Amino acid sequence: MTYINATTIAQALGALREQKGKARVIAGGTDLYLQQLPEILVDISGIDKMRQIQITGEILELGSGITHAQTFASSLLQERATCLSEACSYVGSPQIRNLGTLGGNVVNAAPAADAAVGLVTMDARAILVDCEGGNKEAPLEELYQGYNRTTLDNSREILMALKFTVHHPGEGSSYQRFSSRKSLSLPIVSVGAWAKVKDKQISGVRLVAAPLNPSPTRLRRVEKELEGAFASPETYRKAGELAREEAVTRDSPLRGSGEYRRHLVGVGVERALREAVYRAMGIPSEEKAGDYYQ
Amino acid sequence: MTTINKQRINLKVNGEEWEGWLDPRENLLKVLREEIGLTGTKEGCGRGDCGACTVLLEDKAVNSCLVPVGKAHGKNITTIEGLSRGEELHPLQEAFVKEGAVQCGFCTPGMIMSAYALLKINQQPSSYAVKKAISGNLCRCTGYTQIEKAVLAAAAKISESGN
Repeated sequence: MTYINATTIAQALGALREQKGKARVIAGGTDLYLQQLPEILVDISGIDKMRQIQITGEILELGSGITHAQTFASSLLQERATCLSEACSYVGSPQIRNLGTLGGNVVNAAPAADAAVGLVTMDARAILVDCEGGNKEAPLEELYQGYNRTTLDNSREILMALKFTVHHPGEGSSYQRFSSRKSLSLPIVSVGAWAKVKDKQISGVRLVAAPLNPSPTRLRRVEKELEGAFASPETYRKAGELAREEAVTRDSPLRGSGEYRRHLVGVGVERALREAVYRAMGIPSEEKAGDYYQ
Repeated sequence: MTTINKQRINLKVNGEEWEGWLDPRENLLKVLREEIGLTGTKEGCGRGDCGACTVLLEDKAVNSCLVPVGKAHGKNITTIEGLSRGEELHPLQEAFVKEGAVQCGFCTPGMIMSAYALLKINQQPSSYAVKKAISGNLCRCTGYTQIEKAVLAAAAKISESGN
């Protein structure tokens, strides 16, 4: 049994290479620890480089080792990646948010993972490195392979960072979540919305709902319908209606009936789009992120 | 090949160095209770849902049942035993007694540690901040009103005394 606390990416990759597929990467561990742990673990949560938030121009690079608590507490993310910040505020509990990482939220690939919905709403790309020296960048959605499964082989690969364009002026985003309690609860349905507004017209939009499929799901038909629409309550309501038509929701003993969940996708889309548009237009929001420690 | 299951683990618990040979996958909660003998930290669900096992890892509240002790190697840990100064209770502990925020007491160490983590970064929390801070701690006896009151009372007392 070996537990390696890596302090650099090179060290972590070296350990994976040396163990020839027998080691497994662990970050916050809040999901992994509830499963059977392998003999050899490479802990990447202490790698400083993977805990950094870097902005170059409009491109933000988030180290995958950033915890949900850090994401939520960052004023940069609250303002310029609002849906992600809000999504992270819902994960588990304060204790879980202090351990769990953005990278883990993605790699664990739970279909209802909050941060992953926020990241897909921001159109994030994943940056991966492997122990043979390779690296690649791919849209986050392409990483998902099935329920709780990604294409990432965590005996030789590390999700190093997540990258996306932050909100410009005239853009905004929101995350809405329905659950049976306010804390320590799984979402019945969650929705992320990003919108770009010019002259009161929606000139760009992304809508993401979960859990409908193994990965956060873009509602592309609704997005298409909204292009050029006037930013008005009627538009938000219509978006909700269209989302109900597009979303395929199953019955779930944990989350409620498919019919109820389809209804909530509509409500979520209506609210998330409205909030995203408000924020894009600089209208005081009806909901507020980042008040945890006030 | 022989498999060595144990690794040398160093912890700094409540300011004191501790060293032992352990399976690094063992959870921190079990190590605290059974190896170090600090039984103030309680095991409720054992899977990160109830918060009874909350301790501070590098000043942040975590569920000790979800932390493999290998992860805590070389780190600072604060448990409920680290709060009082000898016989003198911490203001949070005093306030919990005074406000009747304890019934069966099983959730209390975890509640106090979550509140303690909050007060480390926010000395004058709002009711809302207190509720959020203890939102990962379940109490099945008293309800949460007295607990919230106790945390607010302790915060006020700490601000008054200026320590």
